[in-house]
Amino acid sequence: MTQSTHILVIDDEPQILRALKTILTERHFQVTTASRGEEGLALAAAQPPDVIILDLSLPDMDGFEVCARLREWTSVPIIVLSVRDHERDKVMALDKGADDYLTKPFGIEELLARIRVALRHAAQAQAQSMSTVIRAGLLEINLIDHIVKRGGEEIKLTATEFKLLAYLAAHAGRILTHQAILSHVWDPADVDHVEYLRVYMRQLRKKLEDDPDQPQFLITEPGVGYRLLADE
Amino acid sequence: MEADRVFAYNTGMRRLPRSPLFVLVEYVLALLLVGLTTGLLHLFGSVLDTQIATVGYLVPVVVSTLAWGLGPGIVAALAAFFAFNYFFIEPRFTLLVARPQDWLVLAAFLAIAVLVSQLLGRTRSALSAAQQREHEAMRLYEFSTALARQRTDQSIARTVAQYALDTFQADQVEVLVEASGDQAPSSVCLPPDRSAASDRPPTSIAPLLTAGGLQGEIRLWLDRAALLPAEDRLLRTFATQSALALERARLARSETRARVAEESDRLKTALLSSVSHELRTPLAAIKAAVTSLRSGAVERQSIARDELLATIEEETDQLNTLVGNLLDMSRIEAGVLKPQRSWNDLEEIVGAALARLKQAARHHRLEIAVPEDLPLIPVDFVQIQQVLINLIGNSLKYSPEGSPIRVEATPRDPDVVMVRVINHGPSMPEQHLDRIFDKFYRVTAADRVTGTGLGLSICKGIVEAHGGRIWAENLTDGLAFNFTLPLRAKDLPPLKNVLHDG
Repeated sequence: MTQSTHILVIDDEPQILRALKTILTERHFQVTTASRGEEGLALAAAQPPDVIILDLSLPDMDGFEVCARLREWTSVPIIVLSVRDHERDKVMALDKGADDYLTKPFGIEELLARIRVALRHAAQAQAQSMSTVIRAGLLEINLIDHIVKRGGEEIKLTATEFKLLAYLAAHAGRILTHQAILSHVWDPADVDHVEYLRVYMRQLRKKLEDDPDQPQFLITEPGVGYRLLADE
Repeated sequence: MEADRVFAYNTGMRRLPRSPLFVLVEYVLALLLVGLTTGLLHLFGSVLDTQIATVGYLVPVVVSTLAWGLGPGIVAALAAFFAFNYFFIEPRFTLLVARPQDWLVLAAFLAIAVLVSQLLGRTRSALSAAQQREHEAMRLYEFSTALARQRTDQSIARTVAQYALDTFQADQVEVLVEASGDQAPSSVCLPPDRSAASDRPPTSIAPLLTAGGLQGEIRLWLDRAALLPAEDRLLRTFATQSALALERARLARSETRARVAEESDRLKTALLSSVSHELRTPLAAIKAAVTSLRSGAVERQSIARDELLATIEEETDQLNTLVGNLLDMSRIEAGVLKPQRSWNDLEEIVGAALARLKQAARHHRLEIAVPEDLPLIPVDFVQIQQVLINLIGNSLKYSPEGSPIRVEATPRDPDVVMVRVINHGPSMPEQHLDRIFDKFYRVTAADRVTGTGLGLSICKGIVEAHGGRIWAENLTDGLAFNFTLPLRAKDLPPLKNVLHDG
């Protein structure tokens, strides 16, 4: 997060725009705003931002359409804003290329955390370098050696369990939809078999979390997917 | 059904047509009786006193009148008079009268015989009429009773038609009911095929009239030219009873509609007043905190400032919860709460619910007991999470700090899992146990009651939309919320055995 990090906020609610602009500017971001989808797309093309915050309920276009259009020519991180009970919209946006989402009303710390994660992954992708070791509390996940340790002690995982964990860890901090996970860890033909995910996530929690019923790292995002919360 | 019973009474109102032969027979019998009496008197009367004969000859007169009516009775009186004269007045076996006082006896006898016959005849008619009226009254009573049980226009018409058909032994009965309110006009015809009436006009028509106007009509087709006056009277009475029954049914329906509308208004008013209060309370807190922070009256780095800011955040979250509840309830009411089912791990849903309640639950102990081998359940994650949030939230509100709250799941028979949220709050009086899942229901005067009163009714809506059941149970030291969820779902592919890999 540098002084000149540029955030484009696309939202038709003037109050949200005003609040975000104020808060983010105070945190030393450069903020541009747009209140319509077309306007946002034009601005993104004219002055490419480092992160885009996009509200899904725009008056002139669907948020998904904005995502899809952006993804035609840029891989800039996109964080979508939506309300509770619109999980399907969030999933659709994520499948159309958004990187993460926030549910309104949200706290600013949450937003900043998402922005940080998004920027980090974008930087890594750009530099073509990935973290090889992901740390989350007592957990240490080594993606090269395929070893997971908890408090220094190695934990045995099955091949699929590790594959699942690795996928989450590679995208540490970011939401991954059920479909995306099933597609990558299993097979694109298995995208409807959410039961696989349920069973394996449960196994992972049992092996890796202090209290599997109240997980600290392997977080369920209801109706959307899963997120691994790693140390930053 | 009442109207389908066959009424076995012969109404007794219709007598078989009396052929002249029958009538003649009755008179002959009367004469024979007189003859018989003469014979008997001869047999027993060597002491042939005129007094015994007088009394003896009254017997056939009385019997004839009682059995066959005034006509035969008079004939018997006259025959007895002559027989008396012939067989028992001196000189015997003639119609001549020797002694003058015997004229008196004869005249007296005739007068008495005729009088007795007259009196008895009238009594007999009166008795017959009384029996008939009793019969009418009986029919009317049964009819009224049967009518009182009917609630719809159709069933009333059917009962009327059935009774009319039997009582009047009609060939065909048709009962027409006028339209009223939102009910179309209807009619019942017995027997259902109209063959018996063919194209004849009805023999008799009785309108169903009340103060409320014309409610309908009864039409009778008979095998005779007209109803007897008594029958006609009974028909009119049937008609009045039917009209009253129809009117009663209509009034009952209006009353129900009025009551439903009133109840609906009551709920709307309760909703509005509850929502207004519940939304404005956090807003009031927020406004107070914000304005005081802006007014500069609060020191920048003070505890008071931190508290006010914390209040603003908490109340904002509370408002968010309330809005969520209102939306959920609206969805349930509008019938659009269709669960999007997929296979889910119940323990995971419980964990997600607890994550949302982290702050609120910080003063309580939470226990989770979900069996290891509980299979995945076909539910909507977000909705069942909401049920748990509401039940656990309710438990947090009403049970003392430090007390445990337990969430447990037990499979019940192969198709159902039962989930329980158990708290150590106060038990609930029996009469409230059913009703707490109603909208806005409050067990009165719990202190610090917040929320819209919708939480539990939302749980009910969601659980029932999943095909389950929810109820509350008093325990020895607390309260349990129990709900069931099905373990099978028709629209989901069956679970495959997932756990085989390298």
